[in-house]
Amino acid sequence: MTTDLRTGPPVAPARVPRRRPGSLAVALAVLVVALVPVAVTTDRFLTLDNARAILASAALVGITAMGATLVMIAGSAVSLASAQTATVVAMVFLATQDRGLVVATLLGLLGGIAVTALQGVAVGYWEANPIVLTIAAGFALGGGAIWLSGGTPVNATTDGYELFNSTPLGLPLAVYVLLVLAAVAQAILRRTAAGRQMYLIGENRAAARAAGLPVGRVLVLAWAFFGLCLAITGVFLASFNTSATTNLGGTLTLDAIAAVLVGGTAITGGKGSALRTLGGAVLISVIADILLIRGYSTGVQILVKGVLVLAVVVLVHVRAARGSR
Amino acid sequence: MIRRFGLRQERLVPAAALLLVVVAFAGTPLTTGHPMTTFDVYNALQGFAQIGLLALAIGLTMMAGEFDLSVVGTYAVGGMIAVQAGQSSAVLGLLAAVAAGAAIGAVQGGLIAWLRIPSVPVTLAAYIALLGLAYVISGGLSVTFKNQHATLWVDQTVAGIFSPRSLVTLGAFVLAAVVLGGTRLGPELRAIGGDRRASRVAGVRVDRALVLLFTTSGTLAALGGALLNFSFASANPDPGLRPLLIATVAALLGGVSLAGGRGTAAGLLAGALAVALLAQIVAVAYLPDYSTQLFYAALLAVIVAIDSPGLRRTLERVRARTTTRAA
Repeated sequence: MTTDLRTGPPVAPARVPRRRPGSLAVALAVLVVALVPVAVTTDRFLTLDNARAILASAALVGITAMGATLVMIAGSAVSLASAQTATVVAMVFLATQDRGLVVATLLGLLGGIAVTALQGVAVGYWEANPIVLTIAAGFALGGGAIWLSGGTPVNATTDGYELFNSTPLGLPLAVYVLLVLAAVAQAILRRTAAGRQMYLIGENRAAARAAGLPVGRVLVLAWAFFGLCLAITGVFLASFNTSATTNLGGTLTLDAIAAVLVGGTAITGGKGSALRTLGGAVLISVIADILLIRGYSTGVQILVKGVLVLAVVVLVHVRAARGSR
Repeated sequence: MIRRFGLRQERLVPAAALLLVVVAFAGTPLTTGHPMTTFDVYNALQGFAQIGLLALAIGLTMMAGEFDLSVVGTYAVGGMIAVQAGQSSAVLGLLAAVAAGAAIGAVQGGLIAWLRIPSVPVTLAAYIALLGLAYVISGGLSVTFKNQHATLWVDQTVAGIFSPRSLVTLGAFVLAAVVLGGTRLGPELRAIGGDRRASRVAGVRVDRALVLLFTTSGTLAALGGALLNFSFASANPDPGLRPLLIATVAALLGGVSLAGGRGTAAGLLAGALAVALLAQIVAVAYLPDYSTQLFYAALLAVIVAIDSPGLRRTLERVRARTTTRAA
């Protein structure tokens, strides 16, 4: 299953051979084909404005999901502190606007990376349970955010952050950042030794340790990248909302996990890719968009998203179980 | 050695947590200057009723090495159904909610058991779908519960400190303790959580037990949501993730672990009481709201540290090095 992943120092970049399309790919293809007539017959769906709207709505969740993909592939399942981390970064970013945009952005990014990489240390070196750990981190960050902000919205004194709301060529900056991060995540996973080791650690951590892989260091790297993605999400959230309250992160935590799962990454680790997550995030946005244009309520949109995630999860794991038999 | 440590922890953590919080609760009059009243105890038990059934639901699934994230979705849907169907007859609403919760749990249990899928992605997807369902049923708005008789009834004081709501919650824990302690189900559940393959080989009917388990967790969650909404006299389609996280804290303080194979109903009761008392201490002592969150974080940090094999190994290595150097 992981024979295509070299573990030693790569002499030449190991090529990942193309696999034949599995049942998941077929099912997703069927879904996309089924969506096409619905999309085409939906008024105002095939317009440039709508395509922009879809990409824009996929951007923030997609950025967080890129980081979550690496963490899930490396076998750490999920983080339940995503929304709180992004919120705290947003507060730091807005509160430090008066020191200039560059300083504020760097402080926000470094804060997000530090907090999340620290959780990576606990997961990587101490073998802490990621779910319990991230619940603890979520409480600490959420409580700390209220403590430090006094429970009032954090506002900026200058509006330098408007730069992040710019729309070059008609698309929000966040969309370009999402595409760059997807390329970076994919490159880390496929082209670096650490990235390929993430798959091995996710597949079988005990075996990876026995084989002498630097499990702790690789996991810290995966979590640090996740922290970067969360921090970028926080900076965009702050710029878009121009002020940060303690529930700014909203439903980011589970939306990001949903995007990763719809992309077909297995929660047990060892499988998945950043490009698939990008596909998952866009697919969720497309379906939500069609439902929205056709006048369905928020409830129906959420319900359909849940059913979609469930269907993909069942397919992915049934296929994995059949493969191992 | 590890086994013995696990057994010890299963009793030690809930006992220590409850003792610590009870002492702190008894000590609050010293800081506030007001003597404690039976009303404070009643309020703490109301808080226990609010999270107890969710904590029991999630704790039972954790014993078997699963993690049912959907309980908070079932909590919302069950509460919504109870309010909508119970406007004229509260009993009817309660029954409808419990039946829906059992069905939701059974479907998930079936998927998890027969297709052998991990519970986290399945229950996470189910949570999102259930959240959508709660919005659809309610039209996205809070629904008022007009059955004032039922609202007054569930929160009336019984024997000074109890209410029908907290008594039902306590009853569920007693029932769970009797069933887990008196039948093969308790040991089987822990066996499934400890080593699923071995328990399958040993003749435990794993699939049946898992379906039963998730049906139970769905039922308990729906019952909890229904009682809560009767008490609040309204139903909120989106309770957020907070109830789930607090219930998980209670279950972890109750001595279960996400790795499974460990835990008792008595421990879960102690964990749920500890969390409820903690919230009441914060309220009585006029501590700021966020301090509960910081307390939860600190308690979980202790549990994470105890439960991390890598950290324990490192500490043992350090200890060995210092003792050899001393010798």
